Order: sequence, then structure tokens, then C-alpha cells
Amino acid sequence: MQLTATYLLQLTVNGLMLGLLYALIAVGLALIFGVLEIINFAHGEFLMLGAFAMAFALPAFGLLYGPALAVSVAATAIAGLVLYELFLAKLGQGEFERSILITMGISMILLYGMQYLFTATPRMVDTSFGFAGVTIGAIRVTWSRIIGGAVAVAAFALLYAVLILTQFGRAMRAIAQNRDAALMVGIRPRTVARNAVMLATALCGLAGAVLAPIQLVQPAMGQAMIFKAFALVIIGGLGNMAGAFAAALALGMIESWIGGFFDIIWQEAAVFTLMIAVVLVKPDGLFQRGGMRVG
Amino acid sequence: MTALLEVDGLAKAYRGVHAVADVSFGVAAGAITGLIGPNGSGKSTTIDCISGFQRPDRGRVTLDGADITGLPPQRIARAGLVRTFQTVRVYDQFDLVANLLVAIEPFRTVGWHDALLRTGRYRAARAAAEARARELLDLVGLTRLAAAPASILSYGQKKLLALAAVLMSKPRLVVLDEPVAGVNPTRINEVAGILRKANEAGVSFLIIEHNVEFITGLCDRVVVFDQGRKLTEGPPAEVHGDPRVLDAYLGIDEHGDHVAEAS
Amino acid sequence: MRQLPLAAAALALAALPPAFGSNYLTGVALSGVVFTVAAAALNLVYGYAGLLSFAQLGFWGIGGYCSALTVTRLGGSFWAGLLVAALVNAAVALAIGLPILRTRRHAFVIITLSFALLCALVARDWVSLTRGPLGIPGLPAPRLFGFGFTTATRFYYLVLAYAVLALGFLYALGGSRIGDTLRAIKQNEPLAQSQGVSPLPYKLAAFALSAVVTGVAGAIYVFYLKVVDPLFLDFYYMQTFLIVVIIGGAGSFWGVVLAGMVMVALPEALRFSNDLRMVIYGAILVVAMLALPRGAAGWFADRRLAALRAALE
Repeated sequence: MQLTATYLLQLTVNGLMLGLLYALIAVGLALIFGVLEIINFAHGEFLMLGAFAMAFALPAFGLLYGPALAVSVAATAIAGLVLYELFLAKLGQGEFERSILITMGISMILLYGMQYLFTATPRMVDTSFGFAGVTIGAIRVTWSRIIGGAVAVAAFALLYAVLILTQFGRAMRAIAQNRDAALMVGIRPRTVARNAVMLATALCGLAGAVLAPIQLVQPAMGQAMIFKAFALVIIGGLGNMAGAFAAALALGMIESWIGGFFDIIWQEAAVFTLMIAVVLVKPDGLFQRGGMRVG
Repeated sequence: MTALLEVDGLAKAYRGVHAVADVSFGVAAGAITGLIGPNGSGKSTTIDCISGFQRPDRGRVTLDGADITGLPPQRIARAGLVRTFQTVRVYDQFDLVANLLVAIEPFRTVGWHDALLRTGRYRAARAAAEARARELLDLVGLTRLAAAPASILSYGQKKLLALAAVLMSKPRLVVLDEPVAGVNPTRINEVAGILRKANEAGVSFLIIEHNVEFITGLCDRVVVFDQGRKLTEGPPAEVHGDPRVLDAYLGIDEHGDHVAEAS
Repeated sequence: MRQLPLAAAALALAALPPAFGSNYLTGVALSGVVFTVAAAALNLVYGYAGLLSFAQLGFWGIGGYCSALTVTRLGGSFWAGLLVAALVNAAVALAIGLPILRTRRHAFVIITLSFALLCALVARDWVSLTRGPLGIPGLPAPRLFGFGFTTATRFYYLVLAYAVLALGFLYALGGSRIGDTLRAIKQNEPLAQSQGVSPLPYKLAAFALSAVVTGVAGAIYVFYLKVVDPLFLDFYYMQTFLIVVIIGGAGSFWGVVLAGMVMVALPEALRFSNDLRMVIYGAILVVAMLALPRGAAGWFADRRLAALRAALE
């Protein structure tokens, strides 16, 4: 009995951590969709860039977690700025398919370019924490995981504050909720879109940076997560950040629990089957777009 | 005169805001009926509901006695009610003849295998359809450009093409959403002439239009909308003398917060 | 004759293996032909009907596994395998097409993508059926009336025969009223509806037909590779099909066929490393979408249009 409870708790803790990571990716995708009505196919590559930035920054800062994390987030935000200014800003309204193909091309350049430069070989990333961790009862969690989780939680708290309190957060929510009305009251869509893309890629880069010391870092690491994030965004209701967040946390738990008791295929397939089921029942996702009232 | 189209108690709301609240009116067979009202008074929503592009929350629409409420647009079109759109729609990449040939009507008897194998039945239908398309292009004065892609047409020419495309479906009732808005004033009489000709050939019309002169000169009867309700209806001269109609148009700023018209 | 260019192209391709005199180059040309057929099928859904469907990758994989399993598990012939691949793909496409074609186009793209990934997961993880990552190796050469398609050249002609059949069908379909109606729906769906066109049956037909053409192409191709494993569902294949369609010009039959042969054969012949080739593909995709959103065929069409406009002024 004791063992089962511990096992379940361990699975839940792991699931929470996984869910937060999914949420960092999916919420950014939902934000970009909400403001620009496009899907960023290269989003997973920003996760990979964040992880690589962490891998290179850590040794440069003597394995100190904090500064390396800051550098990774800044690097991916700047990469997001470049993505927006060079490519996304050139898209007109209603060019959804074109946006997918352009960002897919960027994804290919980044993924295979990194593979060409650094090979597909996974690399280990060391922090000053090493493999140290805490043991509570029968559960053991490494410091990289605890701090990673804490960073993710802090990022969401910050995101929430930005969306509610700042002018630019309110402008983003306004556009995501009712584009025409927002444009009518004089919100500048270009600036808002640029900020949204930078914010989204920074969140994704943060996920990559947090993931770097926990997982192996390799060019294809973004691909594995991004397809699930697409499905999450559909489940949460396209463009609905709160919906994507809830769906991501739920998925992390579900995957972790399924992984603890069933074959791996069910763990991997859970999100896609779930999404197809949701779409069949509610084609617009679980949470309506207009219902994105964070505040 | 019998009513060709009957709209009874139609209502439609978006997010709780009534775009159309309980309107009833009819279009007589063989008539040209005008539908006027200030922006946001629910005209476009009404014809979207009539033509199947919106599903009404309540009410009934009948065409020649048959209930067409909530049917998809293509079923309604095949039943004989065909519409144009406020922002003109044509197939930019098709030439003018091909634009007209999309209509299902001339190909009703043609199956998928006929179309794929180009059977005699298909070729006969196609030849007849092409002949009809050229006739209609002639009617709207676009014969010279028949082989050009529609993208090179001016806005006004596109409206004429859309008009020809509608007639290609051999409709009993045509619903026109602002047929002369944005059309060169010298051409407006031309449009009126085309509509009269089609009307003489047995096509009835329901026309949304802001151009008062156009409506007065063309329509037998005018229905006036305001704030999602029918304000009044009657012959054009009578309606224009009605002080409530004048009020509705002048008072537009006070209730300009209606739902944006979907088109 | 309208069929003349098609016949000429087929003859030119038929002359390739003797001209090459090399198994390697024949193999490259063979892959080029197979990918061109798959791209032409994608062109039917994306180029004509305007549906950006990633499900093609799933159909390609289902086709490959169906034919391989028919031969290895059921003891059927290669030809029976092709039939099974065609039927299974048609059934799957109709079953998933009906609900997902009703969703918004944003959701459609993601759901078809998820379908393709689910197919890849099944190939990898349903080990008792597919042998998982080990794949199904040792697929025998197809035989017809005692004639074995044992060499690259012989297999090339088998592939070419299918390509002529499939491309001929797609060409006829695209040039027919059905193709015109699909293009009308893509350009302006509400307008087509107002003219009495029911979009769903057309889209569903395009989706299912392209699934069958793609699936049979995959079914044949695995017998050339002599093995099918989960890598057959690698996203790389989808990207290749897409790039061929984009470069050739979505909606243009000849543009896509020419782009297929050039795009697939060229880097293969230049022997880039795989990573570098994908970087180049990605760059081509980005540049093409920014500079020529309607592909090479669209670029030429625009030039013609400009000339026409000038003539009318």
C-alpha cells in the first residue's frame, strides 16, 4: 500500500513537471495564434535553441544556473524578434497555410542546420547542482527538476501579471478576443504581434533551457514536443491561452500516470487520441475563444 | 399575387446581441422588392439567414411554400433562391466563361463519371452551358473580356459578372446585396436595365441597396428595417414619405453600436 | 491531342535507364518518379481543393505496411498487397475525412498532422503487428506471369507504369469539371455554395482519391526498398512532397510533375549530405513562399496576366 501511494505521488510530481513544460510551449503557441492567427511550425526549434543556448552558456558562466537561464531566454526572445521581422510580419490576414509552410521551412533550416553543425549526437549538460537532489520519504527529486519547476511556475506568474497589468498585455488579450474591435480602438497590431511572438519564443526558450540539464540536448528535441503542443492548442480551443495551459497540465499528469501502468504507445498516443475525440465532440476545442478571460 | 418567399418571425442573435429580432415579410412572385435600412439594421443578417449562410435562431423561411429554413446554401440555391454578396465575389483565377460554368444548374443531369470521362451527355450539357454563359455575358456587356481572367476586371465589372453568374443558375428569386454600391454612376442605369430584363423573363428580386433613386425606380415594394426589426413596408413613394423612415436614417449615430454585418 | 505531353514525358522517362546504364542513377530516377506521384496526389488535395493535408504521410505509410503485411503475413501476392493498400486507404480516408473536413481549416491542418503522427506511433509501437523499429525486411521482388521485377531497371518500369496510370488519372481529374469545381471551392467556397455546389463531397472525394494514389505509391516503393520500418513514416517524406508541390505551383499539374523530377533527382545526383539537403529544402520553401507564393507555374501565370493587362490598357 505504502509503495503504491509513493509510486502514485512520484508519478504525479513527474506529471506536474512535464505538464508545466508542455504548458510553456503550448501557451506560447496559443498566444501567437490568438494574436496573429497563425501556427508557428518552428516553435519546437525555439525550444531546441533555448536548450543549446543553455548548454553553451552554462560552461561560460561557470555552471551557474541563473545567468545561463537569463541568457537563453534573452537569446530566444531575440530569435523571435528576427522571426517576426523577417518573416511573420510579411504575412497578410487569412494566410494560414502560407504561415505554416514558411515556418515549416524555418523549422527545417534550424533543425537540420543545427544537426549539420553539431551532429545529431545528444549532449549532456552539467550545472553547478550536478546530480544532487532532495529525498522526501521514498521520493527523490534532483535540484535541476525542482528549480526547473519553480522557474516554470514563476514564468507563468509573470506572464499572468504581464497579461493583466501591463498595457501591452491588455492589448494582446484584446486582439486575441476580438480582433476587429481591438483595431477599431486603435491598438497597433504590428507592435502587439511582435511582442507576442517574442514573449512566446522566450517562454519556449525557457522551456528548452529548463529541460537542458534534465534531458539530453539534441537538435531534434523540439520536434518531439511540438506536435503534442499543436494538439494541446486544439484541445484548449485555438488561441485560448488558459485552455492550452489547462490542457497541458492535464496531459502531463495523464501521460505520467499512463506511463506508470500501461504500454508506452498509450502514453505517446494519448494526446492525439484525446484531441481527435475533442474535435469530434466540440470542433472548436474545449474552451471557446471568446472565453479567454484571464482577469 | 402569391408570395414566392415568405419570412416569418425570423430572429438571429450574436453573443446575445440581437442582429435580427422577429421580422416577417414576403416577396411576391414576379416582383422586385427592395430592402432598405440604416447600416446595422439587420439587412445582411436577414439575407444570410434566408440564403442559408447563417442559421436563424427562430423563425421560418419558405420558398414557394417549401420550408427552406436552416438548409445549407447549396440546397437553397438548387431550390431556386440565389444570392450575391456585398463584397463582390468572383473566381479571380478563372476566365469569365469559367466563372459562369461553376453553377450546378446546367449540369444537373450530369454524373461524376460523365464529367470524368467526358461522355456525350456531359459534352451536350457543357455546350449548352457555354452558349448560355456567352448569352449572359452579352447581357451584362462583358463579351469582349470573356476569355480574360476575372482578376483583371474593375469592381463594377465584377459586380456585373456576379450578376451574370447568378442568372446562370436559372433562379426564381435572386437576392442582391448592394448591387450598385461602388459602381460607376453612369453604369447604374445599365444595371437597372439588366435587372428589368431578367425580371421580364420571370425572375423575382429582393434587393438591398442604399441608393434611393435606384430602389425607387426599380422596386414595386420596399421593406424598411431598423434596429433588427421591420419598421414598415409599402410602395417606394409611400415609404419615403414616412417620417419614421427618415428618423431611422438620421438617428443612425445613436444606435450605431449594432453587430457588424456579416457578409 | 491533349494527352500528347503526357505520352511524350512517359516516353522520355522510359528511355532513362538505358541512357544511365547505372543501377544507382536508375534508383534515383525511380525514387523521383514515386515521389512525383505522391506529390501530384498531394497537389490534388492542397493545390486543387486548398486543403493542406499532412495525412498524406499517414496514407503513404499505411500503403507501405499494408502491402508488406499482405505479402509476409497473409501470404498474398504483391498485387494483392497493392489492392489491400488501396482499399484500406480509401476506407481510412473516408472515415477520418468526413469528420475532419467539417472542422475549421486551422484545425484541419493540425488534425491531419496528428493522424500522420499516430500512424508513425502505431508503426513503431504495435510491435506484434509491425515488428516495431525492426521493421519488416526481406520483401520479395514482385512477379507477374513468371517475370520477376528483380533489377532496378525492371522495377523502374513497374514504377513508371504505375506513374503513367496515376498521373494520367490525376491529369484527367484535374482537367475535368470536377477539378474545376475543386478549384472554385478553393478560391471562394461561399460563392460556389451559392451556385449550388456542395463542397463536402468534392473535398472528401479529393481527400480519398489522393489517399489511394499516395498509398499505392508507398505500397510499391517499400518493395523497391525491400523493407518497411517506422522510418518510412519520417516527416522527411511529407516535407519532400510538400516542397515539390510548392515549387511546382500548387494547382498546376505540369508544374508539380516537372518540379518532382528536378527536386528529387537533383540533390540526389549532387550527393549532398542529408542534413544539408534538408537545410536547402527549407530555404527553398521559405524563399518560395515569400517570393513566389504560387510557385513557378503561378509566376508564369502572373507574367501572362501582366501582359494581358498591358494589352487592355
